[in-house]
Amino acid sequence: MNNPYGYIEADIIDIVDETPNIKTFSFKPRSEIGFRAGQFMDVSIPGVGEAPFTPSSNHNATDKLDFTIMAAGRVTKLLHGMKKGDVVGLRGPYGRGYPLDIFKSKDVFIVGGGVGLAPLRALLYALFNDVKDYRNIIVKYGARTSKDIVYKREIESWASKAGNVDVRITVDVGDDSWKGNVGLVTTILKDDRLDVNNAVSIVCGPPIMMKFVTFKLLDLGYKDSQIYLSMEKNMSCGVGKCGHCRIGPYYACKDGPVFTYDKIKDLPNIWE
Amino acid sequence: MEKKFYSVTKKDLFDLFSRLSATYRVIVPYVKNERLYFDDFDQSKEDRIELGGIRQSQPVKSFISHSRETVFSASERENNPKPFIIAGVKGCDLKSFALQDFVFAQGDTEDPSYVKNRDNALIIGNDCTYARQTCFCLAMDAAPYPEKDFDLSLSPVEDRFVVEVGTEKGAALAEKYRMFFKPPNDADIETRAKNREKVSEEVRRYVDARGTPDTKTVKGAVKRNYSNIPLWQDFASTCVECGACNLVCPTCHCFLLFDEKDQGNARRVRIWDSCLYKTFARVAGGANPRRHLYERLRNRFDKKFEFFPEVMNGYFACTGCGRCIEACPGDIDIREVLKGVANGTKWNKPPHE
Repeated sequence: MNNPYGYIEADIIDIVDETPNIKTFSFKPRSEIGFRAGQFMDVSIPGVGEAPFTPSSNHNATDKLDFTIMAAGRVTKLLHGMKKGDVVGLRGPYGRGYPLDIFKSKDVFIVGGGVGLAPLRALLYALFNDVKDYRNIIVKYGARTSKDIVYKREIESWASKAGNVDVRITVDVGDDSWKGNVGLVTTILKDDRLDVNNAVSIVCGPPIMMKFVTFKLLDLGYKDSQIYLSMEKNMSCGVGKCGHCRIGPYYACKDGPVFTYDKIKDLPNIWE
Repeated sequence: MEKKFYSVTKKDLFDLFSRLSATYRVIVPYVKNERLYFDDFDQSKEDRIELGGIRQSQPVKSFISHSRETVFSASERENNPKPFIIAGVKGCDLKSFALQDFVFAQGDTEDPSYVKNRDNALIIGNDCTYARQTCFCLAMDAAPYPEKDFDLSLSPVEDRFVVEVGTEKGAALAEKYRMFFKPPNDADIETRAKNREKVSEEVRRYVDARGTPDTKTVKGAVKRNYSNIPLWQDFASTCVECGACNLVCPTCHCFLLFDEKDQGNARRVRIWDSCLYKTFARVAGGANPRRHLYERLRNRFDKKFEFFPEVMNGYFACTGCGRCIEACPGDIDIREVLKGVANGTKWNKPPHE
């Protein structure tokens, strides 16, 4: 019988410093493990602990998985101290991926905040695999300051991927080095290129950002069922047994972590 | 399926347990200070074995989803424990198997340790012969006698037991040790029915005396009172967040996974957890959907009386065993909470009068 709590080993083959407290790790798994964009895995430091993350790389490439990780808790702080050549554990994938079939031939409006761009990067790469199948693919990304922007090296290149792709960035607080837009991501959501009647909006970021982005999207005419939200809950076992990540009738690990707003809007404390 | 019965004398039963001890770990209930406890069968203490009485202090889950269990180790070999027999499991605890199985052994993913322990266990159900003031199984779709989810059951009649066969596994054991099992006695089976009526009346009296609502009344009541904050605050006002209610509850299943290292061996351990603990749902980023104690207490009731009925086809995740009532140092009485939500949305009592 497969042990759902067991992990496979993976070698750290690359580490990119994204921001002062966010790094992107590339893991080379020693056995086969795959995922669909939006699904998550548990990354462990063997004998120390584990935490859930959504891979941020292209799901078609399974020989190397990227995880963009912010130092926030015990495990992530220890991960940030690890080096190339160190070994981690991986188990998963868990949860449901983004329903790409539903996104086909629609405008895909991606809204990210902070390190929340990580799963959206996996989504973007998945969309780029068949970029012509979608109408516009538009990314709006907000970071606290210009120093907090992740994927600096590649983010501009996304926009030139194809004619139907565009990326806009904003920072909450500007500084001398930043020449771009200043303001919360909610201030740059209106976009006439998008047809709200034939669009989906995929949102991932800190809870407070997702809350106000959702309200703004509703103002702009998006329906509850067109808004896809990544619910950050305390997902531990990953298989709907440990009870920690329950939201109403769902387990975020099994039924999510991405939910359309109509599924969760009446449940208590979803933004916390 | 037609019910199959045997008769076994108390003496033969203990001789059987003694013989089974060679191949099984045999666990039986003992009386100590008016409480019943499960422990390994020891023939020298047979005068304290009680195959009757009421439910034991430990919930039966203790033997299947152990309070602490290594669930993964990169380097250690799995051990293969002896098969075991738990005798004396009461109706309330039998009800809990459906839930624990649903969580750990059904659906997309099985928990290998749980499944192994469950497969290794032979469950012998047992009638209650009296009720305690905290018993309310009949309000929670359970009964003070084995109805289902047992391999064999024992109903005491004088110095012997009526044995009912519940599963093929139970039938095979009775067949293998048939020298201990006599043909059933029709009069004993009738006595069993009368005893069951009598003990049910006793439970019913306790339920009625308090006005404990049944599952039909409780259905949807937690949801209706979800925003009735004063009600939850009032009941939570004496909670000390110890988690005792979770640990003694036969249906509580939530657990914590943690990793440890011992002389270079990394292992993952599963321990019982409590939804009353403040950090239960908190994430590393700091967000906590149940920051307030009343939200965590409400969550416990929401899980038992809304979530499980929804995902398990009307199954209410309380067996009426009353253990949490006895365990709670804050005197929070689950029956009073159920009464509170069932009596409607008006809650005028100030928090902790």
